[in-house]
Amino acid sequence: MDRVDLVDANVELLLRLRDITKEYNIGGQEVYALDGVSLDVNVGEFVAIMGPSGSGKSTMMNMIGCLDVPSGGSYEIDGAEVSSLDDDELASIRNKKIGFVFQGFNLIARTTALENVELPLVYGRIKDRRNTAIAALQRVGLGDRIEHTSSELSGGQQQRVAIARAIVTQPRLILADEPTGNISTLQSEEIMQIFQELNDNGVTIVMVTHEEDIARHCKRRVEMRDGKIVSDQPIEDRLVAKDVIEQMKSQAITRKPLALAGT
Amino acid sequence: MGISEYFRLAIRALKSNVMRTALSMLGISIGVAVTILVVAIGQGATKSVADQVNGMGTNLLMVHQGAREMKLTAAGRSTTSTSTTLSSSTTTTSVKATTTPQGTLTLADALMIEKMFPESVQAIAPQVRGGVQVRLGSSNASSNVLGTTPEYLVVNNSTVRLGRFFTAVENAQNMKVCVLGSTLAENLTGNSSANLVGQNISVNRDNYLVVGMLAAKGTGTGGPDPDDVVVIPLSTAMARILAITTISDLSISCVSPIMMPLAQQQVTSLLRQRHHLVPPFPQNDDFVVRNQADLLVRSQSVTKTMTMLLTAVAIISLIVGGIGIMNVMLMSVKERTREIGIRKAIGARAHDILMQFLVEASIISILGGVAGAVLGVVSAILLASFGGWNTIVSPTTLIVSIVVSAGVGIFFGIHPAQKAATMRPIEALRYE
Ligand SMILES: Nc1ncnc2c1ncn2[C@@H]1O[C@H](COP(=O)(O)OP(=O)(O)OP(=O)(O)O)[C@@H](O)[C@H]1O
Ligand SMILES: [Mg+2]
Repeated sequence: MDRVDLVDANVELLLRLRDITKEYNIGGQEVYALDGVSLDVNVGEFVAIMGPSGSGKSTMMNMIGCLDVPSGGSYEIDGAEVSSLDDDELASIRNKKIGFVFQGFNLIARTTALENVELPLVYGRIKDRRNTAIAALQRVGLGDRIEHTSSELSGGQQQRVAIARAIVTQPRLILADEPTGNISTLQSEEIMQIFQELNDNGVTIVMVTHEEDIARHCKRRVEMRDGKIVSDQPIEDRLVAKDVIEQMKSQAITRKPLALAGT
Repeated sequence: MGISEYFRLAIRALKSNVMRTALSMLGISIGVAVTILVVAIGQGATKSVADQVNGMGTNLLMVHQGAREMKLTAAGRSTTSTSTTLSSSTTTTSVKATTTPQGTLTLADALMIEKMFPESVQAIAPQVRGGVQVRLGSSNASSNVLGTTPEYLVVNNSTVRLGRFFTAVENAQNMKVCVLGSTLAENLTGNSSANLVGQNISVNRDNYLVVGMLAAKGTGTGGPDPDDVVVIPLSTAMARILAITTISDLSISCVSPIMMPLAQQQVTSLLRQRHHLVPPFPQNDDFVVRNQADLLVRSQSVTKTMTMLLTAVAIISLIVGGIGIMNVMLMSVKERTREIGIRKAIGARAHDILMQFLVEASIISILGGVAGAVLGVVSAILLASFGGWNTIVSPTTLIVSIVVSAGVGIFFGIHPAQKAATMRPIEALRYE
């Protein structure tokens, strides 16, 4: 089952970034968070964005997610030039085309998992929200936690609610900024398994991560430094989360330390 | 996104911080309660003044002694005019009585008016007044004595509830008979509808036979209680109790409303002539003639001023309540900046955020308004039943005050809501 070739066979451009810059003026001094970034992402790709802290990864993700506007350059999503869209059109793109998974979960406090997941459907004016939201929660393995508020869920569970919220509108693009930070290795693998399943179903994913082991679940690896892309390569020795989890479980039974490298 | 959705979001937000919600409602509640109470008192006062004035009688002119500006004039002249009054004035010094100072209006003035203007004047009731001590058995009451003639009943639109009014003969013979007002009856017996006909009461330690009980006229605002009274024959009052030879006022019943201006003019010029007054008028008048319309306008202008003052208080408290809502909403927006960022990140439009906060502010103010309306109505009822105030709560007041409070909420909610709606998603998300 090799879908990568299938997608490659009929390439469709989803994201097109050209010479994107973002500058901040800090104490009278210009700081370039993005310094001329050009990037093409096709439908069905699974991109890992890597790089040291402060290299501009989050800044770029926020541009791609239409949460922030660049200082210069051009950005097209699905053929539409983003700088020409008004606020409501941007809101509509965020709602229908993009699912954003934040590093800090960003669930709404004192609100149940179900209500959090329903919210994009509310803003998208979609009917039959409850069943759609429950289906999304079941997909991330939280069918039994729908009435829990975020303070009643573990970090990994909260991150999965955030993923359910990102996928509930069936967007073409998922943007995830360090979705596996601050959570255990097993939970990270579970999240990567969900992402791999989504990607297998044709969803394009762009994901920021610091961890080499997590990046190896993707298909393409983009490395940034000082606001520039310094390397962009396909991933050869790809990990499959499902297999990793099985291996971890069998090792947990024989009480041996985890050894992921060289799978 | 329908209004019900915004409503649901708002309810959840309000529920998640009950204390804050309640505090912000309090301001509006007090504002609305004050408004309703104020209008209820104002309308009640206006109505009782109107009732009282209309209850005085129809086509009524009132002549009071004294100058227009309430200054007592012509002290020297009063001695000459007193000699023309009652022949049977036997001054009793044994009993102390409080009364208005001797004036210039006399019984002879009254008789002359009646005699000279039959085409315009139907009946005339001269009156004297004073404070007295009334006793029935062991119970004692401070009350007012009103000395008058049998015409009083028809001129002043009063009715006898039990027994009868005294007669002209009883008046002519200085008889010690009396008719009691309902408040005095209540003060003496504890029962405003008590029947004391046939019993003897003591008025300033002199015995009077009760021949009738007056029907209640009802309390107005501000003025003395017209039912706290013992009515006795004019001559008896002047001779035995008040020891005066002039009268306090005249009530004149005109033939018809059309004749009132004529009667007023006739009475005025006759009295000027009889009192030997010289121009300029009305500065030199030693009496005042008023009609009901004057009275109504006068007392209503007083209640109007009061209502306006209280309304200003009500408006201020509504504004203070609105500012309270604005503070709470601004706090709420600040507190939920991240939440706003999240909502925008997943597709909320500026309009959605604006509506969410506006609906929240409206719910606070409408609920606060309804609570305030209940509070206002209850206090109006309590004020009426325990404070003896006349209060009227009209449905219009209720609806208007609730609508206004909703308006205040929306008005003061717009600024915070706009602040939330125009936030840039990335800045809201980064907010710590
Ligand atoms: N709002 C801002 N104001 C000023 N400078 C900013 C702002 N946001 C980001 N920067 C600067 O832009 C640069 C890139 O930041 P960014 O958050 O994109 O880094 P990152 O690659 O995501 O780092 P990390 O891995 O730590 O998350 C940093 O030097 C940062 O200081
Ligand atoms: Mg980052």
